[in-house]
Amino acid sequence: MNSSRTAWLLLSPTIFILVIVGLVPFLYVLYVGFFNWMPLGKIKDMQFISLGYNYRELMFDEYFIGSIWRSIKFSIVTLLFELSIGFILALSLLSSFPLKAFFRSVHTLPLVIAPIVVGAIFKLFLVNGLGPVPYLAKEFFDFKFNYMSSENFAFWVLVIMDVWHWTPFVTLTLLAGLSALPEDPYESAKIDGANNFQIFIHITIPMLIPVLVVVVFIRLMDSLKIVDEVWMLTGGGPGYGTRYTGIHIWKEVFEKRSYGYGSAMSILYLYITIVICWFLYSVMVSRGKVDED
Amino acid sequence: MVKIVKGAITLLLGLGLTFSAVYAGGNSAWWKKAGAPYKGAVLQGIAENTPPGQFAGEVLAKEFESLTGIKVRLENTSWDQMYDKAIKDMEANSGIYDFVYIEQDIVYSYLDRDFLVNITQSLADNPNLVAPHVNMNDFTTFIDYFKDAKGDVFGIPMEAFLKVYLYRKDLFGAADAKSGFQKKFGYALAPATSFAQWRDNAEFFTAYCAEKGMECWGTTVQGHTGHPASTYEFLESVGPSFGLYNWGVTDDFHSCVAGGGSLNGGRAKGALSFWTSMLEFAPPEALQSTWSEVASTFAAGRAAQGWVYGENAAWIASNKEKSLVVGKVGVMQPPTGPGVLTQAASGNGYIGYFDGGAYGIPHSSKNKEATLLWLQFVAQSEVQADWAAAGGRITHYSTYNDPKIKEMDQVADGYFTLMQNTGYLYAGAPMFPFHGAGRAAIDPFIYAALAGEKSPSEALDGACKALDKVMKDLGYQK
Amino acid sequence: MKTSKTLYKTFSIIIWSILTFITLFPIYWMILVSTRTPVELYGKPNLSPTFFEKIYWKNYTKPFIDGVFGDYLLNSIIIATSNALIVTILAVMATYALSRFKIAGAETIFFWTMTNRMAPPAAFMLPLFLLFTKVFKFGDSTLFDTKIGLILLYCVFNLPFAIWLLKGIIDGIPKELDEAMIVDGANLFTVFRKLIIPLAAPGIAVTSLLSFLFAWNEYLLATTLSSVYSRTIPTGLSEFVTTTGTEWGTMAAVAVVSMLPALIFLALVQKYIVTGLTFGAVKA
Repeated sequence: MNSSRTAWLLLSPTIFILVIVGLVPFLYVLYVGFFNWMPLGKIKDMQFISLGYNYRELMFDEYFIGSIWRSIKFSIVTLLFELSIGFILALSLLSSFPLKAFFRSVHTLPLVIAPIVVGAIFKLFLVNGLGPVPYLAKEFFDFKFNYMSSENFAFWVLVIMDVWHWTPFVTLTLLAGLSALPEDPYESAKIDGANNFQIFIHITIPMLIPVLVVVVFIRLMDSLKIVDEVWMLTGGGPGYGTRYTGIHIWKEVFEKRSYGYGSAMSILYLYITIVICWFLYSVMVSRGKVDED
Repeated sequence: MVKIVKGAITLLLGLGLTFSAVYAGGNSAWWKKAGAPYKGAVLQGIAENTPPGQFAGEVLAKEFESLTGIKVRLENTSWDQMYDKAIKDMEANSGIYDFVYIEQDIVYSYLDRDFLVNITQSLADNPNLVAPHVNMNDFTTFIDYFKDAKGDVFGIPMEAFLKVYLYRKDLFGAADAKSGFQKKFGYALAPATSFAQWRDNAEFFTAYCAEKGMECWGTTVQGHTGHPASTYEFLESVGPSFGLYNWGVTDDFHSCVAGGGSLNGGRAKGALSFWTSMLEFAPPEALQSTWSEVASTFAAGRAAQGWVYGENAAWIASNKEKSLVVGKVGVMQPPTGPGVLTQAASGNGYIGYFDGGAYGIPHSSKNKEATLLWLQFVAQSEVQADWAAAGGRITHYSTYNDPKIKEMDQVADGYFTLMQNTGYLYAGAPMFPFHGAGRAAIDPFIYAALAGEKSPSEALDGACKALDKVMKDLGYQK
Repeated sequence: MKTSKTLYKTFSIIIWSILTFITLFPIYWMILVSTRTPVELYGKPNLSPTFFEKIYWKNYTKPFIDGVFGDYLLNSIIIATSNALIVTILAVMATYALSRFKIAGAETIFFWTMTNRMAPPAAFMLPLFLLFTKVFKFGDSTLFDTKIGLILLYCVFNLPFAIWLLKGIIDGIPKELDEAMIVDGANLFTVFRKLIIPLAAPGIAVTSLLSFLFAWNEYLLATTLSSVYSRTIPTGLSEFVTTTGTEWGTMAAVAVVSMLPALIFLALVQKYIVTGLTFGAVKA
């Protein structure tokens, strides 16, 4: 049995599919990014423009750059909240208390709900005229709750929704990490007379860093891609307020139908996301404890 | 009471189905013969989920099928999705849809991109498909929007209505409201005939409702800060009533005042200022309201007045299952700014949007002939009356005289008479083939003005520049 | 000591009860909305569990029985199941190959699959749309609005993920075992059937379930690449802003149904979710 041949035979369907539906679109969008293509314009076909014209335009496109910054800001803020809350919850799950299993199960629920449904849940919950939150805010706090009234308001509502959705992931991952920590360092430290706080800072946290990095990496990576929930809850508004890059591209491409420019934008978005992710990944690898082949 | 109404509707539908010959105009034999070669075909259509659309899909489609054996599956979906799916299908030439809803403002884009079948030509080429009893001349002038330069028809109108001013008769007629208003403003309380009066009414009723602990406000505002509906409201209704026509765009595609346009001119800024200032007197959901939310806001009794689409006026005024203000709805022509009415009457402007749409056939359809039959079916004068009663829309002259409509007119406080007499003052959207892209450029500025992040003046200055850029990029502005 | 422990336990229970409430309350509200008539939804939000007295079933029957959502549901089931099946089979094969054989270019493959996981779907909307509608033509039809199109597409995100998950597990099955079987005359297929699959069964099950879940929940590309015949349930949710009063009740009903597989799988998948989402980096 020719081992190399068998191996490639086993791999070929996978590679075939990934090339057709993964690589080809990438090459295609790279290609289209060098053209001017606007079906709504006077000239409806593709026209080749000077190399990089679209990309040069993009560098100065305040809306695109703005959307990237907004995405990054959103990702970092939600990460900070999820990390802190998740950590505390993970710690609390280390000890046993009644109904712990039940609480843990319920806590996991948001993770498996489709993002678009999460958006729908929050919309029904927060929309004026229907949702209980605005009504109760008015009744008990005399506060005009209207998340579409300002960019800031919408931003924080989205943060809360994301925290609701993804904190369980952080909790469970950190819990797994914490549970796997070895006993010895703790015993030695206790013998040496360290108190709980010192143990936490100098032993727990350093040993957890690999897991922490994994969490940060995955949350940031997924957060930068967000579209569904935001679309459902705010539609990118108010104004440009919550128009993160994914939504921006969606609107550029399918509302304005500027295919050439939209392609260049997609490539840049892809590039920026991947650069950030690979950077984080290398940090993650260098800190050890990652399964790689 | 609800049960009786439900029972009546079911009875009506049942009668309708039984006496389907009525809909065939006594021509069932013709339909059967014409449909025979296409028997068993399934026509797939997509339209917006509105009462007229539902009637077409639920009642008319069944009639048609029982007469011809051709099945019609009408997909009624949201406004966004309707556009998205129809355009994708036509762009991709995938032949999924046999007929699509053409909203009045997108027809120019579709014609420009050559998406639609020339219906006049097709009928001329296929005389055996021409229904002899269908009178194309009975269509109101609305059908002109769906004709090309030669006069050939590309879409069969299936709904047309005005955006009117609705007000709560009970609130405006309440004795304490009348006296309170007189005392506060020094003139008699009445539905608004000017924007200053609109403002006074809004201010008054917001306070009035708050004092009485009622969940209501002075006016609706279609001000969603994240959906094009608000931009449309400004460009199609508020703007024109202040005298901003054609989006302020000149014939050579300039929209800023600097280039001869008027999108950031005095009238436009006046319109946007007024409209955004009304948010103070609108219910909290105003900033999340598209046309559908505005309708349900009014139907829930949460506003004393507002701009509401005619198709909704009908059910708000009559359907107890969905409206809490049945019998309390007043209908009026919206107010206009100084000089606007005269301009509109002389044909140099318009006071609001003549909205509506038609069914057209994409080139990619695989069942063009059968669809031609279906389109003629809905074009019959005989089916119009019940359709109008169900959906508040009129596309044929003869419908105005139908006794059912005259009766409905009473319930809807004269909406149909209003449409008949003053329809000429309203106009459709400007003839831009780049409608979607242009509007998308203006959207963020309108949203910012609504959210208070930009002043109306700044917003429009920015909007006209963005629109100019789009027109330039697309090659229309030299 | 004992009192502080009891205090701590009570404190934990209180905190977690609050958290449970925060988690469940919005979902509870959504279920409530799905059981009410349009008129009931005007006015003050009523937080009491009225579904014990009365349920407005029309919110459910209208989209699913009278409308097209029944088809959408079927599509979701077909697409998610087929994708999970294909992904699992291909991933087992591919992971075995990567684990047992030294392959030139393994590094590149690894790099590429990782990048696929990082890539934002939004960046691929346009090229996929254009490819599916214009380029990938088979005679008269294209991949646009086909179930097979979506099934293949989801492999791009699910295959790398599955390979990651399975790698550790299959690596954990000693090479010597299958070498022994081969020496005894078994062919590859038998090795899979008798050795790999039984030993890796839990991991394979988890991979399937998670792939199913991902395919079921996906929205953006499904909306872009489907129209009528391959519309899935999540995309159906976006069809809910209409011109006659936003149909909150029906929308809530569709959302509730969308959530069902998630609820079913939660029980099955809970233990492996962390491993799954961190693709093996952290084992729960």
